[in-house]
Amino acid sequence: MRIATLSNIKSWLDRLAQQADLVAPRDVDGHVLYRPVSSAAEVLFEYERPELSAKDYLFPATEVLLRVEQEGKEVSIEEVLPQRPQVIFGLRPCDAHGLAAIDALFLNQQPQDRYYQQRRERTTLVGMACPKMWDGCFCVSVGGGPTDRSHLDVLLTPVEGGFAVDTVTPKGAGVLAGLEMTSVEGQPPAVEEYARPVPVASPDQWRARFKHDLWMRHGERCLSCRICTYVCPTCRCFDVTDRVVDVQAGRTRIERIRAWDACTSTNYRRAAGGHNSRPTKADRIRNRFLCKFCYYPQDFGPLGCVGCGRCVVSCPVDIDITEIMREVAER
Amino acid sequence: MTVSANPMRPYLGRLTQVRQLATGIKFFQVELTEAEGRAAFADYKPGQFAFLSAFGAGEAPFGICSTPRRGPYLEFAVQEIGHVTHTLHNLEVGDPVGVRGPLGNCFPMQQLQGRNIVILGGGIGGAPLRPVIHTILDNRAAYGHMTILWAARSPDLLVFTEEFDDWRADWATELHVTVDQGNEGWSGNVGLITHLLERVSPSTENAVTITCGPPIMIHFVFLTLKKLGFAPEQMLTTLEARMHCGIGKCGRCNLGEKFICTDGPVFWQHEISGFLEGFL
Amino acid sequence: MPIDRSLTKELCELARGLLESGQVECVIGYEAAPRGGARPLFAYSPADASRLIWSTRCVHNLTTYLHDKKKPRRRGEEPPRVAVVVKPCDSRTINVLLAEGQIERQRITVIGMACPGMEDETGQPLAHCTTCGDRVPLVYDLLLGQPPQVTPATDDYADLAQIEALPPAERLAFWLRQFDRCIRCYACRQVCPGCYCTTCMFERDDGLWVDMGIELPQKYLFHLGRAFHLAGRCVACDECERVCPMGLPLRLLNRELAREVERLYGHRAGQEEALSPLLFELGEEGSPI
Repeated sequence: MRIATLSNIKSWLDRLAQQADLVAPRDVDGHVLYRPVSSAAEVLFEYERPELSAKDYLFPATEVLLRVEQEGKEVSIEEVLPQRPQVIFGLRPCDAHGLAAIDALFLNQQPQDRYYQQRRERTTLVGMACPKMWDGCFCVSVGGGPTDRSHLDVLLTPVEGGFAVDTVTPKGAGVLAGLEMTSVEGQPPAVEEYARPVPVASPDQWRARFKHDLWMRHGERCLSCRICTYVCPTCRCFDVTDRVVDVQAGRTRIERIRAWDACTSTNYRRAAGGHNSRPTKADRIRNRFLCKFCYYPQDFGPLGCVGCGRCVVSCPVDIDITEIMREVAER
Repeated sequence: MTVSANPMRPYLGRLTQVRQLATGIKFFQVELTEAEGRAAFADYKPGQFAFLSAFGAGEAPFGICSTPRRGPYLEFAVQEIGHVTHTLHNLEVGDPVGVRGPLGNCFPMQQLQGRNIVILGGGIGGAPLRPVIHTILDNRAAYGHMTILWAARSPDLLVFTEEFDDWRADWATELHVTVDQGNEGWSGNVGLITHLLERVSPSTENAVTITCGPPIMIHFVFLTLKKLGFAPEQMLTTLEARMHCGIGKCGRCNLGEKFICTDGPVFWQHEISGFLEGFL
Repeated sequence: MPIDRSLTKELCELARGLLESGQVECVIGYEAAPRGGARPLFAYSPADASRLIWSTRCVHNLTTYLHDKKKPRRRGEEPPRVAVVVKPCDSRTINVLLAEGQIERQRITVIGMACPGMEDETGQPLAHCTTCGDRVPLVYDLLLGQPPQVTPATDDYADLAQIEALPPAERLAFWLRQFDRCIRCYACRQVCPGCYCTTCMFERDDGLWVDMGIELPQKYLFHLGRAFHLAGRCVACDECERVCPMGLPLRLLNRELAREVERLYGHRAGQEEALSPLLFELGEEGSPI
């Protein structure tokens, strides 16, 4: 295998930070998050699972789509498209799977989402294998794994003396230019302990449970907040609106923005006029879980869940996706 | 469905007509002012919809209620009910708007040729049916008998009343109108559209029905049509939902694994009965 | 997890009785969470009720679910009669919701639990328990457990002093750094029994006060605005801080305003059953209101 020392990785990252927007895991007041960094000094090299996924860097929580200027009866529209190259360093394999799931809809379904496509094209993914599975993790059960190289451009694995470097794609080879590596015998260590597997029912088995009382049983304690949706690497629902930024001397400047939204939210399906077609928590969490295991794979290919476990550990009322998966698959 | 370089960028347009269509409902005619917009909308079909932008407020989806054959413009019926529609209702002729589309699937007009068509419109639901009526009237010999049942909660909520004479004038078209509640000036039918439907009892032979209106009306009309002997393969409708992209990305309009914006909005009843989620 | 076996048994029997007699159709309580700790349970049958527990991990304020039980399940029916298990802090919420006309007293059977103080997953006492002066619920229909033999704590708001010692510019920097981590998941608002507006003013389609962007200005306004809307109403159950996935120290905001309200008006949210909401009644200077 090829190895790079920590010191060489750091110099390489410092150079990368000059050429592109560099995103990496960092300590933000005690929380591990993927965040922009300006040097290797800010990067964490030993960490568990960042508390949020990296989807914010391809599909921002808030994104300006258009800038509109209106003066009298004249309007001009400018698209706001991403320009800068970006490197996401230290991406956990599950988060790479999450991006691949969003790709299946935003890129592979016509018409392409232009904003996502532009950002994706300009982004290189440098992954970091997990030495073990963390609390809540079940990536292996949904087609992933702690050392899975799929959907990454490069995969690093912590080894003695530094990191094993696995070049996955030509884009990955490109970003590695200038990183000093040495060849040694051996393989990166295998992950020894795997979490208890979670059964994944087929879309038809999920369909069969549509009218089941399990949705009320699990859903009644739901708070209808958005934690699970926002921490999730694959959830991609969004809302679009205009906001007036500036009014000066007859000229109005407007931004059309999109922002993350969540089907778990009480008013997600409320139409103007008041009718809500998913009025109960049971309706809403049923949609969320069926979307992940039935609708998304049937419509777009991949499962809508990568087994990262964030929703499991973050739900304030212990609604556990694995518990529901087991119930649907086994009962 | 249009495939433009950026499907979230609207084409620019200008309002050429704004008039009151019914209480709380306005009629807008839009002229597209960019060549790309005119090209995109050169051949839109009955049943398709577009997002209208009221710049500063946002955009919302509306069924296109015109046909390209009748003019190089787009027409919409808009009910004032929320933030975007409220802002639209405050616009005047000459004001700029944005248009995205045409989006969605369409009524299968080819398949309907040679058949008898029964059209059921409730309230503003009549708007997406108007281009179907126009298409039939403009190509009359290609279609069979047309029966139109038009309804609203009250007379002031009936849409396109100014076209009733045109529709009736056609030798192979009959028009029946009803309101849930009459008023002093009303001398026509009073009663639900389902009652009118049972009274008129159109023949099921070689017939296709097209229903549009509030979800609850569609539900009960389907039941009545079934009672009258129509098969699910003879029942078409167009559904609506709150939407934000119209291109199957934002996730909001799904009924199970179907999206109203890309798999619809036009659906056969036999398709809908197989959906996991109901449209009510 | 230190489940109190004898109180758990009493609670289960009590709940079974309430359900079997038809006095209530649902008992809102706690069950053991498979991953550790407790989680809310809606017991509709005696079988459900036998899953109820009482332990030092019963941290949730279950009164927030009373808002879901205000409407009948089917049109034409009466709203359901429910029982809810409350700790002293939770019981203060009952008083606030009664004073604000949000719940009907006769539809709720309040099962009060004498409280030894709650703990987190590491066994540490929760912050609001260390400053809590109430060991017995302030309102209940039935009371389980012996009041613990501890002197009720007094609250000297020492945690606020740390922030107040900072000069204003640093204080602002501190709070902006906290709000920056916020992801606008609204968990704090959703869990709060005092936040029950059908349309939150910070979540309007027309973006009248803030637009829907998940950005610092909107988050800043949301948190400060929400804290002000809870001034004189927040009972310091600290659920908002517990549920926050990003660790925002929200209890400090609420405590700051609670201390001001107490200082200015002698008012503490939820202390009395008939206490009028703050600023709802006009009184003469010096009057008890």
